[in-house]
Amino acid sequence: MRIVFLVALLGGAIFYTYIAFSDLNFMTRTGRLGPGFFPRLVGAAMVVMTFWAILDALRDRRMVAAGGAPGPDDAPEGVWRDFLLLLGLAFGYAILVRLFGGFVSTVVYLIAALSLLNPGRHLQNALVAVIFPTGVYVLFDRVLNANMPPALFDILPF
Amino acid sequence: MEIFSDLVMGLSYAVTPINLAYLLIGAMVGMIVGVIPGFGPSAGLAILLPLTFGMDPIGAIMMLAAIYYGSMYGGTITSILLNTPGESATVASTFDGYPLAKKGRAGPALVMQAVASFVGGTVGVILITILAPMFSQVSRSFGPPEYFLLAMMGMLTLLVMIGSNWKLGVISALIGFALGTVGVDLETGQSRYTFGSAELIGGIYFIPIAIGLFGLGELFYAFYSQIHKSASGSLVEYGREQRFWPTAQDFLSTRWTMVRGSILGFVVGVIPGAGATIASLMAYSTERSLSKTPENFGQGEMAGLVAPETANNAASSGAMIPLLTLGIPGSASTAVLLAAFLLWGLRPGPLFMEQNPELAWGMIASMYLGNIILLAINIFAIPLFVQIIKVPYRILGPCVVVICLLGTFTVHASFVETWLMFAAGVVGFFMRLYGFSPAALVLALVLGPLAEEALRQTLTISRGSFGIFLDRPASLWIIGVTIALVVLLPLMGRIGAGAGRAEKAGG
Amino acid sequence: MTQLQDSLTGWIKAGALGLAVAAPFAVAAQAQTYPDPGETLDWTIAFGPGGGNDIMARTIVEILNTYDLYPGDITVENRAGGSGAVGWGYLFGQAGSGYGISTTSGSFVTTPLQADTPWEPADFTPVALLATDDLVLVVNGSSDIQDIGQFIEYAQSNPVTIAGTGTVNVDFIVPTLFAQAAGFEFEYVSFNSMADQTTALLSQSVDAMVGNPGEILGLIDSGDLRALVYSGASTPEALGDVPTMGEVGYEIGVSMPRGLILPPDAPAEAQAFWIETMQQVVETPEWAEYIRSNTLTPTVLYGEEFRTFLTNTQNGFAEVLRSVGAIQ
Repeated sequence: MRIVFLVALLGGAIFYTYIAFSDLNFMTRTGRLGPGFFPRLVGAAMVVMTFWAILDALRDRRMVAAGGAPGPDDAPEGVWRDFLLLLGLAFGYAILVRLFGGFVSTVVYLIAALSLLNPGRHLQNALVAVIFPTGVYVLFDRVLNANMPPALFDILPF
Repeated sequence: MEIFSDLVMGLSYAVTPINLAYLLIGAMVGMIVGVIPGFGPSAGLAILLPLTFGMDPIGAIMMLAAIYYGSMYGGTITSILLNTPGESATVASTFDGYPLAKKGRAGPALVMQAVASFVGGTVGVILITILAPMFSQVSRSFGPPEYFLLAMMGMLTLLVMIGSNWKLGVISALIGFALGTVGVDLETGQSRYTFGSAELIGGIYFIPIAIGLFGLGELFYAFYSQIHKSASGSLVEYGREQRFWPTAQDFLSTRWTMVRGSILGFVVGVIPGAGATIASLMAYSTERSLSKTPENFGQGEMAGLVAPETANNAASSGAMIPLLTLGIPGSASTAVLLAAFLLWGLRPGPLFMEQNPELAWGMIASMYLGNIILLAINIFAIPLFVQIIKVPYRILGPCVVVICLLGTFTVHASFVETWLMFAAGVVGFFMRLYGFSPAALVLALVLGPLAEEALRQTLTISRGSFGIFLDRPASLWIIGVTIALVVLLPLMGRIGAGAGRAEKAGG
Repeated sequence: MTQLQDSLTGWIKAGALGLAVAAPFAVAAQAQTYPDPGETLDWTIAFGPGGGNDIMARTIVEILNTYDLYPGDITVENRAGGSGAVGWGYLFGQAGSGYGISTTSGSFVTTPLQADTPWEPADFTPVALLATDDLVLVVNGSSDIQDIGQFIEYAQSNPVTIAGTGTVNVDFIVPTLFAQAAGFEFEYVSFNSMADQTTALLSQSVDAMVGNPGEILGLIDSGDLRALVYSGASTPEALGDVPTMGEVGYEIGVSMPRGLILPPDAPAEAQAFWIETMQQVVETPEWAEYIRSNTLTPTVLYGEEFRTFLTNTQNGFAEVLRSVGAIQ
């Protein structure tokens, strides 16, 4: 996974650098530093450094494969499933918020999340899923008059 | 003793029952808007501004000023408890605040941050009282060349943030620089990396990135490492250390940190545009360079929390100086205060304190009282806040997602920014997992645009010549201080840390 | 229309005192179809609370309520984001309706130049230009340059630096056009905010700057900054005897529009109603106070004239910006 992340970073860095060289000028017409000056330096440095880090990671992997001790920078042990579960829930929530606004989607998301993460305790989950969003709504929308995400599809009567 | 009589006169205007009530309301609102991630002082001020229209200007300005510095107290609470910075100036407080909470020292950490905020705020207002005219000269001598040099000085602090794996640290910083170039190029007006999106014209804002990298990223990491399934199910094995109050050792070991943090924070705060975020990050890395035990930083070192906290509060006091003595707002929050002055028909500028002494000194006097009130509110509220991390993590976790997402949305009502926050959360998780440095990324995101813009402005002004840095007295001063830091800090570190650190650097 | 105009002239003569009395007549004289008191007016502010656009919108709503100029309910909503693209995009989506409304500011012209917005300023139904944001050119108070004549003379022999906020902005356009007219060259130094550029001028990093006078009146009063020339049609009283660019012979006629718009293709009677209503609003003492305290220039144009103004302003901007390569 470490390699995958680094390769993704390299991809981003190459894209960034490509635009810096193709769309943005190094100098302005009057001979000053142009909009592309800084991005080109940063992009080129990013590509070089990420490439170097990938080489390091590959070397570490070979060492591990050859039976050597894992490198000092190896990722700590963990459970990918739980990370992906939370990631999926958060992603779903972000989409719900776009569609149904701040309040409704928070209730729906919390019910879903808590029934997966805190199974069996239905009363506790239901209370949290209703009281917490209500508290947030009252504080943000009523007390502080802050922006709450508006709904594309308004399904609430109020 | 004219200062003294001015201050007494100010107090006599500030201390009326109604004005004290406004001060209390402002302090509480400031605490609340500070606690909510994303919802910073400038948003809080803008929301309450309309309420002050019918009010007496002294009461109104006391209330608005209290919201402003009160939010600096509140902003740290989620930094410590959830690793989610309340606003940009409290990002540095996550570095050691959150590890302290994980070690079971959330109570002492919260009390120490309140004390540090109080010290920083109070030192700041004392410096305003006695030295405002002198510091207004500092505000007056900063042009683009000085900002560029200041940014370069800040880059030195990046070296401290880069962490154990220097290659990954440099990549982290470069990502921050790259994000900083998004938006309309200030000099030519050309759009960079906006891909036609109107939301990106203004650039990538700091807050969604910070909330994502630290708040959401840490949450993903906590689930990955199974904290929600641990024995107690909560973030901290709270039973391990029940002590709520800091120890004498906590105070003793950080007394000079508070002094240094206050002075550094104040001076940086006085410079318009530099502000509390840069002050707190610089204070953190300065303290780490000076420490005898730099390896403890990031593992829950009290000095690592106290330094940014004193600095950001001192900086928010310092930012009052350009506002009061020149009518120049040094930050988004003081810009709202300036708008308030204008709405009341006042004319902020060099003559402001002379023409409106009751208002200016009333506000300064109220800042002494406000800091005391906020310290008291904090001490009372901390036991409540500490309950948050006793909530089982499998319940708290999903709720933190809600806070991060809605908090980000409140800032600019932007869905693009909530997605940016989300993406930063995923990237932040991987950065945490593989030993990158999110701290270097955010520092680069703050300093990169400052450095690029100031350098290009400078070269336009000097018509391409770098000699301008040597022509200006203020520039020479900054160069001198920077060289002194580069030469002296490693020396002091070497003397303090001894062989152990040298070995580490070699390995 | 004549009936409308008659009632209006009567109005202005009646003055502020007559406002409350005349208002019901004005509404009664209107066609019965608009406004329907049962419909809620959806007022969009394309920026967050506390900004210039927000203050103007809320000032107008306050005046409408105080003098009972609109019979139905008004809901005011800040729909911020994307330099105005979100809020005005929302109004654009209400095409054909007479019950959506919004105020404009500089970004109304500049945002479509920089981003792929689905709308252009001329797409909306124009109600009125109410005021313009104009700029004052100032130098450091310790400078030897005492007036605009000396400045131009100096700049013709020594290239100067002038600071302003942003490049796709009136701050860049105004000095560029002025320099072309007056025959001098300068380097424009772009800053992020009025505060940054003021700091640069106070630290003697730049020779001069342009900016809205409101924020720097205090510095002008104290002698730290010296005002030389004003870009609007008439100098605000707070600036004293500073001449306008027209008075020194180099009229440039570019400024940032603060006006009122309805969705595209709004009903004609809605446009007529709002034109008439705004004619009443600009006569109120509250509006005069708003103009004074925000140091705006009270430039007023109605209906199609406002649309023409917007188109001309945008074309002028696009031309200058294209010539320097800021936009394609």
